[in-house]
Amino acid sequence: MAEMFAPVQSLFMWVSEFESSIALRESQYVMPWVFVFHVVSMCMFAGTILMMDLRLLGVGYMQTPFSQVQRRLFPWQIAAMVVSSMTGLALVWGNPMNYVTNIIFWVKMVAMGIAGLNAMAFHFITEYTVIDWDAGKTPPSGARLAGWLSIILWVNVVVAGRLMPYALTWFRS
Amino acid sequence: MEQYFVDIAQWSVSRAINESSWIFAVVQAFHLVSLGFLAGSLLMVDLRLLGRGFSQQPTARVARDARPWLIGSMVAMVLTGVPQFISLATKEYESPYFRWKMLMLLIAFIFTFTIRKQVAYAPEGRFGGGISKAVALVSIGLWTSVAINGRLIGFFS
Repeated sequence: MAEMFAPVQSLFMWVSEFESSIALRESQYVMPWVFVFHVVSMCMFAGTILMMDLRLLGVGYMQTPFSQVQRRLFPWQIAAMVVSSMTGLALVWGNPMNYVTNIIFWVKMVAMGIAGLNAMAFHFITEYTVIDWDAGKTPPSGARLAGWLSIILWVNVVVAGRLMPYALTWFRS
Repeated sequence: MEQYFVDIAQWSVSRAINESSWIFAVVQAFHLVSLGFLAGSLLMVDLRLLGRGFSQQPTARVARDARPWLIGSMVAMVLTGVPQFISLATKEYESPYFRWKMLMLLIAFIFTFTIRKQVAYAPEGRFGGGISKAVALVSIGLWTSVAINGRLIGFFS
C-alpha cells in the first residue's frame, strides 16, 4: 500500500522537517488543545450543515423557508469551517508522517472534496429554482439528493476523523 | 463508590467491548456524529435567541422544529456514551475531566429543560433581548464545556 502514497510522501516529509512542525510535535499541551478546538469547531460546522440538510430533505425546520435557513446559517458555517480547517491543518502540520500513509485520513480528505463539489453543484444548479419551492412542503428531488449526499459525506468525514488513529492497528501488521 | 466503578468494568458486556478491536471505535465515531446533530439542534435555537438566527420566525416556532432533533440526538449521545463509560469505568473514575463533564452535563441538561425552555417557548417579546441573549450564551457555554471535557478525557487520564 505504501507506494500508493509515494508522490505525496516526499511533500509530507518536507513539512515534517520544518521547525514549526517539530515544535508542534514536541509540544505537550498545544496539540491536545488544537484537537479541542478542532472538535468544537466541528460541532458548529457539522451542526449548522446538518440542520440545513434536514431542511433540504423536507424533514426538519419546515416552518422556516429554506432560503432563510441557508442565509442565516451560512456565516456560521463559514466561520466554523475556517477554524476547523486551520486546526486540522495544524494537526497534520505537526505530525505529517502519521497521516500520509493513513488510508482513513485519505478517505476523509476525498469525502470532504466531494462534499465541497456537492455544495457547489447545489448552489450553482438547484438553488437557482429556490423561489419555486422555498416554503413548500417537499423540496424537489435535486434538493433532496443534495441534502442526502451532504449528510452522508459529512457523517463520513466525522466518522473517518474519529477512526483515523485506529488505522494503525486495523490496516497495518 | 470506587468499587462500584470497578464492578461495572467487570461486567461481561464491558469486557466484550474492550476485547473487540472495533466496537469501541465505531461507538466513539457515532458519539461524535450524534454530537454534530446535538450541536446543530441547540445552535438553531441559541442563534435565534442571540438575534443572529431566523429573526423573521418566532423563537418558539424554531424551538418546536428543533425539538425532535434535540431529543433524538440526546438519546443517541446516551446510547453511544454509556458503552464507552462502562468499558472504561475504572479509568473514568480517576479522570477529573470525566467528573467535570458529568457535572457540566447535569447542569446543561437541567438548564436546557427549565430556564432555556421557558425562554425559548415564551410568547414573542415576553423576555427582553438581554435575557434571551444571556440564556443563549449560557447554553452555548455549558454545552461547549461538556464537549471540551469529553475530548480531554481521552488525553490526560
